[in-house]
Amino acid sequence: MFLLNLSLGEFLAIFSAMSGVLVALYLLDRSRRRQRVATLRFWMSAQKPAEMKHRKRIQQPWSLLLQLISIALLLLALAQLQLGTPDRVSRDHILILDTSAWMNAKVGRGVLMDAARATARSWLRLVPPADRVMVVRADALATPATALETNREVILDAIRQSSPGSSALNLDQALTFADRVRKMHARRAGEIVVVGAGRIPAGDDAPRAVPAGARFLVVPSDLEDVGLRKIGLRRSPTDPDLWDIFVSVRNYGHLPQNVPIGLQFGNAPAGSKRLTLAPGAEQNVNFEYRTKAAGWMEIRLFTSDAFPQDDRALLELPAQKSLRVIVYSNQPELLKPLFAGGRVQAQYRSPAQYQPKPADTDVMILDGFGPPAPPEIESVWIEPPAGVSPAAVATTRSNVEIRNWRTDHELGAGLRLKDVRLASAEVYRLAPNDIPVAETEAGPVIVARPGKHKMVILGFHPMRTEMRYELATPLLFANIFRWMSPETFRRWELNAGSVGTVAMALDKDTKPEAISVTADGHRLPYTVQDNVLRFFAGNPASVRVQAGDRDVVYSLTLPDVADAVWTPPADVRKGLPRDYPTAAGAQDAWQWLAVLGGLGLLLEWILFGRRRQLVAAGTKAQHPWREKFGLRRAS
Amino acid sequence: MDPLIDRKFLEKLERLTIHWQKSFPGLVGGHNVSRFSGPGQEFLDHRHFHQGDDLRAVNWLAYMRLEKLFLKMFQVEPRVPVRMLVDISGSMTTGGSQKFEFARKLAAALCYVALVRLDSISINPFDSKLHESFICSGGRHRFAPSVDFLAALKPGGPTNYLQVARSFISTYQQRGLVIVISDFLDDQDCFRPLQHFADYGHELLLVQVWAPEDRTPPWTGELDLEDAETGGHLEISFDDDARKAYTSAFDDFSRQIQVLANRYGGRYAGLSTDMAIEDAIFGPLTRTEALVG
Repeated sequence: MFLLNLSLGEFLAIFSAMSGVLVALYLLDRSRRRQRVATLRFWMSAQKPAEMKHRKRIQQPWSLLLQLISIALLLLALAQLQLGTPDRVSRDHILILDTSAWMNAKVGRGVLMDAARATARSWLRLVPPADRVMVVRADALATPATALETNREVILDAIRQSSPGSSALNLDQALTFADRVRKMHARRAGEIVVVGAGRIPAGDDAPRAVPAGARFLVVPSDLEDVGLRKIGLRRSPTDPDLWDIFVSVRNYGHLPQNVPIGLQFGNAPAGSKRLTLAPGAEQNVNFEYRTKAAGWMEIRLFTSDAFPQDDRALLELPAQKSLRVIVYSNQPELLKPLFAGGRVQAQYRSPAQYQPKPADTDVMILDGFGPPAPPEIESVWIEPPAGVSPAAVATTRSNVEIRNWRTDHELGAGLRLKDVRLASAEVYRLAPNDIPVAETEAGPVIVARPGKHKMVILGFHPMRTEMRYELATPLLFANIFRWMSPETFRRWELNAGSVGTVAMALDKDTKPEAISVTADGHRLPYTVQDNVLRFFAGNPASVRVQAGDRDVVYSLTLPDVADAVWTPPADVRKGLPRDYPTAAGAQDAWQWLAVLGGLGLLLEWILFGRRRQLVAAGTKAQHPWREKFGLRRAS
Repeated sequence: MDPLIDRKFLEKLERLTIHWQKSFPGLVGGHNVSRFSGPGQEFLDHRHFHQGDDLRAVNWLAYMRLEKLFLKMFQVEPRVPVRMLVDISGSMTTGGSQKFEFARKLAAALCYVALVRLDSISINPFDSKLHESFICSGGRHRFAPSVDFLAALKPGGPTNYLQVARSFISTYQQRGLVIVISDFLDDQDCFRPLQHFADYGHELLLVQVWAPEDRTPPWTGELDLEDAETGGHLEISFDDDARKAYTSAFDDFSRQIQVLANRYGGRYAGLSTDMAIEDAIFGPLTRTEALVG
């Protein structure tokens, strides 16, 4: 005999509380009620002899006793009292199948996952047919594969279809999830069975507390593995054609390993090194590779270990872009030093060769002439004639000084030059949306105009003034070109890592609206906190993060191999059970208890309650006017 | 404040008259005949003339025939004082003051009946003593002050019938009809003081008013009872059997009051407060012939 819904302690606590309330109400009901009467004369004759009073007093507790017994019976019915032994009742088990990346490790002719499936099936054969089982696949996330199910075919099918993922096992989350499911949905709690290698990331992901009734069916995985852990590629800050390559390698096994590592670009060898790794050690290797071309960079560990998935990574390198500029000028020599070298490819043509949309050109520069047709690409106008200038000329001033640069805009970023004097400059009148980049006392002398085709108008020739000797001049043109063609000047970083949560430090002045995170063309949710961007990728994917002028590509294709093996506490059961008790149907008794409890209350009402009610009804019948006028007895 | 009696009920009361059985001496002007002779219209008897008798009543025809002076005596319908004693003690306030309200309404109704017939009626509230009375006479238009007087009464205090009887008898020398509206619940005996009224020649109309819970208490179980007048306490276990014994004792008490009234030529009416005041007037009170239509 046992309680299904409540423990004995819970039952006793609730029963005690209810009994206490009942006894208190009983005592309150039986306590003397004070009544004010017209005279005590007639009450004297109504007093009982002593033995009568005594008999009455011992009669009253039967009402209390009957009520207490009825409440106990009803409470037992609510607690689902069952006849039989608890072991003979069907239970609900949660089977956690480890589907982490490590379960893809080779063992014998198969992989660890095959062994886990076989172990799970062996356990399932021991589970009594009436017991319900829920299959939960656990890697970085715990995902239920079935509901609590008695149909063994459904459970076997879920086990069969379970395959290793790319992330590491988050055992704490899986156990918490299973415990919550067992508490909320299980009719009677069975076991939480973990089947897997139990390999978890070192640190915080170890289970904080193992739920009661847990069982660990370990799949042996004492294997040797050396794998790529992280790869990072970025263009050298000193030489844009040079890629700095950073590779992190870890030895997950128990033996020291001597591993050659090689780079290939476009199927051609690009570099190689040899690493000696102690057991459990991690080592970083740096490579450099010079190329402007786009192509696939392969990093490979030349080893044959149990887990080949983390021995190779492939990254796509983007081509180094150049800005194509056409300069229409009668004096190209003045401007040539400005555009020589770097990532600007300049062509110089005379104004007579002007075309509104020249082929293969990103930006055109119009030096001191007004074109017959407006340009259909981005353009920089240097000292245009007053009649044809796209910005209205307010006045022409000589010997003026630049007082102010628009340093809060990317066009004026870093420009601090103040003491340079311009022999002659056109001062412009600003149109709506125009951006004044440089201003004199009389007004703006450099104006930028956003739009479909961006343009910048300079009211003076920088190479004919004192500015030709200043660093501000190339910086101004660099800002102009970056504003006009930001794609060309993006900073590229490439990283290879494993799926899961990725954190990326942002530049200080990165604006939230300039951030975009996409995975294979789809936007990914992300958070920014303390200037660190975080996103989560559950499946292998190439994630592109655009933040300001930075373009960071995460190739999350490396499997996340956990570096620690979980050792379950001593009280956790291990291995397959010898035998589960067969469920031979404990008998429900709650229906009978509910009926008996109801009958008890009915009997109490007939014996004691009804009489009280009859007296009350009789009183009402004697005082119909009392009801009519809403009057009440003093009692 | 709600009027004690509504107009429709007052119209019904106009056909009633307060009736008494005894013969009382008094001035002419009443409506009940008296065995006492006086300046009436109806011939009653002859008697010998004595010195000092009114010569206007001498039967001169008899003198001429018999040469003896005989005096004619006439039947009178004297104006008899009606005095109403209204109990305002604490016992009248139990059960939500139903008894007190009932007594006030009843007193107002009787007052109106008396005023309509040009009787003089005095209202004497009492508890442990006789309070200041209010005399109303002179017709129905004097009804409003009497209602105001009744409405202003405040119940409370113990009852002392003996003291009240002494005060009453010493105050009112002229005999008449005494209407007592009370629950008669005096811790001391109320029978002897009531007997005094009769001994001094007053005619008694005893109207006992009780609340239903006075006769059949509705409560059951352990009770701590408090006397509304004395504040005395009694703890009692009360059940159906005790209730029967209680009701029996109460009925015995009522019966004793009725016996006392009948023994001295008076009348008795027992009225429960769950009865409508109209039913009480035209039912039990009319049946006792204290009121006649």
